[in-house]
Amino acid sequence: MKNASETSAGLSRVKKVVVLTTAMLTFIPFWKAAAVVLCDFGSSAFYAGGIAMRAFGPAFPWYILAVMLFSGLLLMLELEACSLFVRGGAYKIVREGLGDTAAKLAASALIFDFILTGPISAVTAGHYLCGLINSFLELAGFGLELPESVVSVAFGMLVTLYFWRQNVKGIEESSSKSAKIIAFSLAVCFLLAIWSFITIALHGAHLPPTELHFSREALGWAGHIDWMQTIGLVGMIMAFGHSVLALSGIETLSQVYREIEYPKAINLKKAAWLIFGFALLFTGGLTFLSAVIIPPDLIATKYYDNLLSGLAMSLAGPNFLKLLMQAMIVVCGVAMLSGAVNTSLIGSNALMNRIAEDGILTDWFRKIHRRYGTTYHIIHLIAAVQLVVILLSRGNVYLLGEAYAFGVMWCFVFEVSAIIRLRWKKAAQKRDFMFPLNIKYENYYIPVGLILLCGALLTVALVNLTTKQVATVAGLGFTAFLFAVFSLSERLNAKRANTMFEEGYRERINAETVDDLKEAFADLDRPHRILVAVKDPENLYHLEEVLSNVNADDTDVIVLYCKPVENVLYRQDMRSAAVDEQEVFTAVIFMAEKYGLPVTPVLVHSNDAYYAIAQAASVADAEEVVMGVSGRYGANPQIERAVMTWGAVKDQDLKHPVTLRILWEGREVSYRFTR
Amino acid sequence: MSQNEQTKMSLGRLIAPSRVLVADKYPGKKELIEALVQAVCRDYPQLDPAYVASQVLKREEGISTTLDTGLAIPHARLEELTDFAAAVAVLRQPLAGENELPIRVMFLFLSPAKPTFFQQHLQILSALAETFKPEFIEELVSLQDSREIAARLVR
Repeated sequence: MKNASETSAGLSRVKKVVVLTTAMLTFIPFWKAAAVVLCDFGSSAFYAGGIAMRAFGPAFPWYILAVMLFSGLLLMLELEACSLFVRGGAYKIVREGLGDTAAKLAASALIFDFILTGPISAVTAGHYLCGLINSFLELAGFGLELPESVVSVAFGMLVTLYFWRQNVKGIEESSSKSAKIIAFSLAVCFLLAIWSFITIALHGAHLPPTELHFSREALGWAGHIDWMQTIGLVGMIMAFGHSVLALSGIETLSQVYREIEYPKAINLKKAAWLIFGFALLFTGGLTFLSAVIIPPDLIATKYYDNLLSGLAMSLAGPNFLKLLMQAMIVVCGVAMLSGAVNTSLIGSNALMNRIAEDGILTDWFRKIHRRYGTTYHIIHLIAAVQLVVILLSRGNVYLLGEAYAFGVMWCFVFEVSAIIRLRWKKAAQKRDFMFPLNIKYENYYIPVGLILLCGALLTVALVNLTTKQVATVAGLGFTAFLFAVFSLSERLNAKRANTMFEEGYRERINAETVDDLKEAFADLDRPHRILVAVKDPENLYHLEEVLSNVNADDTDVIVLYCKPVENVLYRQDMRSAAVDEQEVFTAVIFMAEKYGLPVTPVLVHSNDAYYAIAQAASVADAEEVVMGVSGRYGANPQIERAVMTWGAVKDQDLKHPVTLRILWEGREVSYRFTR
Repeated sequence: MSQNEQTKMSLGRLIAPSRVLVADKYPGKKELIEALVQAVCRDYPQLDPAYVASQVLKREEGISTTLDTGLAIPHARLEELTDFAAAVAVLRQPLAGENELPIRVMFLFLSPAKPTFFQQHLQILSALAETFKPEFIEELVSLQDSREIAARLVR
């Protein structure tokens, strides 16, 4: 390996240069983040209405619309959860707020819903596809009809197998692809809406009824409780509970939060607004139009599994145009629903990983694929369970829908409770967003809005326990089973768990050794550069200061960690104090994610950190070099050493002034090289 | 005027021939620092050599002041000073201790402790490191005596 750079004295100080990359340093704009969420959350438009119709009759669009409005509150809850920046989504938030047991319960419930989201989406996509083929066969006069249940199961399994393979390989679907799918869906939605309004103008229409007609199975155990049936509000809550499956995928927002670009908080709000608006129009609006245009008997008998196809085929106009519209809906539906299958695999894998990282699961779960570097045991398990669920459902979307929503509701109950608790526990932590309706009392914001939301969620979740029998039995059973597995595994793993807990989370980082520093900075293309030297993952105040003030549009931020190699300059105690680079860069990436700003992490092996910093700054043509204060030596000796080294390394005039800064808790020592 | 030119002027002001030591061999870094402190204190009666030496040696316990060019710049910031003071030692034989880089030139550098002088203190440290590159050090080592070295330093 070549030595990276030579000092003016002809001595090599930088022994090895490694450029580090991670997927987590690629940040996306708010609209792409919204598209990723909507590919999952928006896909419920294709099945939620049909399932709700079968549960409580033609009043379903009102409740789907109500659930979509309610999703606005849940998005605000996610905004506050994300603003706490507790990495790991709902599971970590619950652990932080309510402790380990509640977190394990919430995670078990959420995994149950993740596992169901895949099959429900995959099977629904199969129904839409089969519906289209059957419409075509009917229009062409073939007199042939494919069995929807068989086709939907077969297609569902194929989609699941495809994404299982992709996830094992670690191939992530790009946010650009999601954005294209959503843009196409928006165009289809717009066309469908216009055509629907023309149809209404030509044929006339009535608003859907508001009376509830629960099927026997939709009443569940509540059918045996007389008082529940006499109170109108309870009926409305029951209908709402049967419609909450329309929320499927909303939790994806906490998964993509990490990837949203600077300014993070503002972009997160924009993404939430976009998600809310789209879901309201797409899921709420199209479900409403379907109920207005499709005759109720056709929904109940023919289109309950592919409601939007029914809408297309019920529009006014020639059949071939309607078939074309249906084809567009099917393309859009298959793309979104397949995306939801993928997100369910990614989400459950990520969640299981978070749990495994806490030492709750044995090493077997975290086993890394030798070739692809993915946690393939977890992916195998989830995909296998999903395939079994698809087979057991025999293509019955209603059954899957009835089983769904246990996890998402209870997980939200835990999450909102945790966030309420954190209002006290982390009262001093700055929040970019707070759920509305708060009363300030001394240093606390009493979360009246959150308490009301918690009450609403708890009420729906409790009512669902009595009405959604399949969800209650399967959800409780699965959650109890998974919770038992977690608890048992944690106990068996106790010794190892403690070690892993102390080790903490490690970011997956790809390390590429390059020939020299010049090559390490070859991809930097912004006109200005700041080099931030890091050493201690617990001391990144200076990096945070840089990230909170930098103009990311015109400045590249290089984060340099100099790992000591054996040399007279490094005494043994200093070498042994050197921190593992993965730990350092995990903290750096966490910080970069917090601000949604990309950084260029570079690791150099050097026998003198000050030489390495000076050389790297010189090669990178940095205008600013920022260091944290050393608790051992203090800022003044550090800056003295840095300016001396700079002088020794410099062998030509500077193209521009370079400022050297040492930052710590609100203080700064700096020096400006002007020549 | 550039930082380097300013420093050369400062060097001329800082280094008198009486404060240039030339030696074949020195027993150790501590002794050499003490000898340079003595040389400075002769021209600054307000300074107590023992105290100054203790301050410089205390600073030496921290981050190294020796560069791999062969230049060492032991330094201290003192309340008693109102201007910069320095002394230089040129060694015919490199001085090397355990865990230390070999020293060919030692530049003892004392600054006023007032914060207003700190930027200039840094500027001089940087310019010294830039000036005392290996070729220049070799040239100094080859010179005959302290007068010649002092003259070369300000040229």
